[in-house]
Amino acid sequence: MGYVAVTAGEEIIERAADLFEKQRLAGDSEGLDVDQLDDQLGRLTAQAMSEGGLYAPRLAALAVKQAQGDTVEAAFLLRAYRSTLERFDETPAVDPGEMIATRRVSPAFKDVPGGQILGATKDYTQRLLDFDLVDGETADPTEEWEVADEGDPERLTTVTELLRSEGLLHEPDEPDVDDPTDTTRESVTHPPDRDAVLQELARGETGAVTALGYSALRGYGQVHPTLAEVRVGRLPVRIEHPYTGDEVTVTHADVTESEAVVPVYEKREDPQFAFGYGLTFGRNERKAIGMTILDASIQLDSDDEPAENAEFVLDTIDGMDSFGFIEHLKLPHYVTFQSILDRIRAIRERKGTAGKGHDDLADEESAERAPVAEANDDG
Amino acid sequence: MTLLEASAVETIYGPGCPDCLDATGDRAGTNQCPRCGTVVACAEADLDVAEGEVLGIVGESGSGKSSLAEALALERDPEATVNGEVSYAGHDGNLLEVDYQTRHDLRSRDISLVHQHIRDGLDLEFTGGGNVAEKLLSAGWRSYEDVRMRVRELFEETEIPVARMDDPARTYSGGMQRRVQIARALATDPDLIVLDEPTTGLDVSVQARVLDTFRRVQREEGVAAIVVSHDLGVVRLLADRTLVMRHGRIVESGLTDRVMEDPHHEYTQTLINSVI
Amino acid sequence: MAKETTSQHRDESTGGGTPVPTDSVDAALSAVETDGLSGYNYAYLDEHTKREVRRSMLKAVAIPGHQVPYASRPMPLARGWGTGGIQASLSLLGPADTLKVIDQGADESVNAANIRRLAENTAEVATTTDTTKADLIQSRHRIPEEVLTDDQRLVLQVPITDALRKVDPSDAANRRRHAHKNYGKMWVHLYENVVEYGEINIASRYPTMVANRYLMDPSPIPRWDVPKLDDANHLTILAAGREARIYAVPPHTSVEPLAFEDRSFTVERFPEQACHACGSTDTYLVEVSEEPGTTAGDDDTAASFETRYACNDSSFCAKRRENPNLPKDHHLDRSGVDWGPATPDGGENA
Repeated sequence: MGYVAVTAGEEIIERAADLFEKQRLAGDSEGLDVDQLDDQLGRLTAQAMSEGGLYAPRLAALAVKQAQGDTVEAAFLLRAYRSTLERFDETPAVDPGEMIATRRVSPAFKDVPGGQILGATKDYTQRLLDFDLVDGETADPTEEWEVADEGDPERLTTVTELLRSEGLLHEPDEPDVDDPTDTTRESVTHPPDRDAVLQELARGETGAVTALGYSALRGYGQVHPTLAEVRVGRLPVRIEHPYTGDEVTVTHADVTESEAVVPVYEKREDPQFAFGYGLTFGRNERKAIGMTILDASIQLDSDDEPAENAEFVLDTIDGMDSFGFIEHLKLPHYVTFQSILDRIRAIRERKGTAGKGHDDLADEESAERAPVAEANDDG
Repeated sequence: MTLLEASAVETIYGPGCPDCLDATGDRAGTNQCPRCGTVVACAEADLDVAEGEVLGIVGESGSGKSSLAEALALERDPEATVNGEVSYAGHDGNLLEVDYQTRHDLRSRDISLVHQHIRDGLDLEFTGGGNVAEKLLSAGWRSYEDVRMRVRELFEETEIPVARMDDPARTYSGGMQRRVQIARALATDPDLIVLDEPTTGLDVSVQARVLDTFRRVQREEGVAAIVVSHDLGVVRLLADRTLVMRHGRIVESGLTDRVMEDPHHEYTQTLINSVI
Repeated sequence: MAKETTSQHRDESTGGGTPVPTDSVDAALSAVETDGLSGYNYAYLDEHTKREVRRSMLKAVAIPGHQVPYASRPMPLARGWGTGGIQASLSLLGPADTLKVIDQGADESVNAANIRRLAENTAEVATTTDTTKADLIQSRHRIPEEVLTDDQRLVLQVPITDALRKVDPSDAANRRRHAHKNYGKMWVHLYENVVEYGEINIASRYPTMVANRYLMDPSPIPRWDVPKLDDANHLTILAAGREARIYAVPPHTSVEPLAFEDRSFTVERFPEQACHACGSTDTYLVEVSEEPGTTAGDDDTAASFETRYACNDSSFCAKRRENPNLPKDHHLDRSGVDWGPATPDGGENA
């Protein structure tokens, strides 16, 4: 009796989940500590936080562990958890100019106020497998460094501020800072406001943001930006004190920020650079730059190129959406498939009949067995 | 009998100021207000069209002829401000002030526009027949066979090969696409068709055949038309009466033959001389 | 209605949600690590969210067939797997309710079981597989064969919310078309269908006019089920999680599939077939392929498989196996209730 799965569905689900857990435990190695993930696989947890829209490094590490390293699944766990949390307060908007940057490169200018800060990066090294890592850790290579205490780091002037002061930058529609759209609470409708676009991009799937941003550079678009700067650092998270009303810094969040100017002149009579912006939780320069390209592209508002069409970008950028819908194809579809079978059979029957002469119409059986394609083969 | 009557129709782009009308037009030699920068695409336009009559509007690019035609065809450009009064037989009130639904109904049944650009008028992914059928279906036709029959009839009438009826419109030649637009415009037996630059993008030989077809169908059906063109030849061939526009104003009007043979306005004289 | 009232009372008494322990990340971690769902609010979603979803539903009921945007929350289920349906269900359910969940007609499907388990664990509802005993039925792509009544609510899971998506992918353009009741493009699609195939070639997600105003995607229910929505006694809520839209067919609303006068809407037919288990000829059947040998097949072309037909609605099929003549309105105090396609009483005659 295989026509319906009469066995208890719940037991099957539990067993399948148990097998999944077993995969993590099947090897001989020791279980991964959440702290190890947080400390050592920061890029992975950053991606989960960024796509999950929740800044919580240890929860992200847990999610990564539970998802066995599947970033979208980890982001999904974070989002599902986040959606159940009571929202106690909203932070005042923070000015990214306040960032205390540990890395800052400006491809636009050789010298910028505050200087270029290379920071921690392997951008300029050869990508060679380091077999020393197989057998435990090497010693701290910075151990011998002599670091002078230079006091608190200064706030850096952003490069775009220089251009802005000269009037070279077109200001896109300013989001309403006092009451920004929250796309997790209010679904996006088209055409979307820029603050909704930026939020959706900030939570976009890294691969999708990179691919769509790349498409604009690859020729499917007009935006080839010059990066004003890419910065990695910490931003303060503040809340208003419930009694005094003063703003109090409660914690910091690591972010990556990218700003670009695009030589597409917004106004003919007063040529200005278009402007693109990107910001993500954690360290993810690729995604921040991809987001910057997409922000600039979407401002062109055109149907001609995928990256310039806000609807196309927002409809495809979200990892939760694409993950769920792609994988839902695994669910049973036999009701709909039966319906499709009904159509194709009816139409084949009709075409088969039509392929025959009027004399054959009475003989339905022979018509049914003689679809057009077969008749062509005989010829 | 008068089918459509328009008075003081104006289409402006920009904030507008009290000087706009005085500072633009034929006398001023511009359609842009020097004080506020507003473009007065057309203004102070009075005209009427009788049943079955063809009115030509001729002028060079930027003269305001298309803006006027669009206002009369109930086309709405959200950027533009349209003022004036247009009355239409069988409709109470000002056509320029109707709501969406009324406009939709009038456009489905009474007044058709043949767009200058094929892409504005046709969905090239649909079949040629589908494009014509859309007009009927939007007007509420619900019998497939009736729709089919009417589309076939219109294809024959506008001389499009019926065998091509079920091919995508993008595979049609420019002349056939223009004919599909005309067939579509005729589909619901409207009283008035507005043709905006009907020869755009067509070879000269094709232009003549499309215009001949339109003239024949127009006479057989007795449908009134407003034909907008920069080409005096088009207007001379089709129009009973002609308006000449420049800098957003009508500078001359009269029977087509009279305007062509005995142009009063200096500009019209230049226009005609430049053709001959 | 009484249930609606109680849930509103609950909203007020809790002041919009029971806080979950989030004093620190570690506390949150321990809550997650130790006791599964015990750290979550009743029916998983916080009360604000449920109230907002209910408001969207009320708006949807007020404008039948119109897609109402709502802030679809991330759920612990993947988007596209019933997240819209479960948000609608969890927003409506109270502890006194009995829930039935079906996926493609079957209560036993693993995804149905997963959704049911979430509702059981968080909303403490009773569950059933018996259509007639359910207060609320969440379903993916089927309407049950047994007649639904005016005290039942049906929640259909929706993957794609807009019927017009078939003819134009742009949501902005389609919203304008809905606002203007401008469905010419969809009609041309049907016209061209007939031109190409001789009949309308739309299998499921059949475009349907609701209350003669809005064109609606009835979700991928088979055409067989579409007539059940017309002038129904029950309320149908259609909810999409990924696309964040809710729409509804209130009771006794006209639901009319788009078709021509001379090319009418047809439902799936199963000529000369009956359910091999219960013998029904008036239910939606699906083909099942099995290893040969159990029954003698008369179709010699299918060499390696035998194709048989079985009821898709597995719970009604079970009842029919007990009582082959059980009518679809057996639980009502009147018979001959109009429900779904008019079905001949024997496939043999077809």
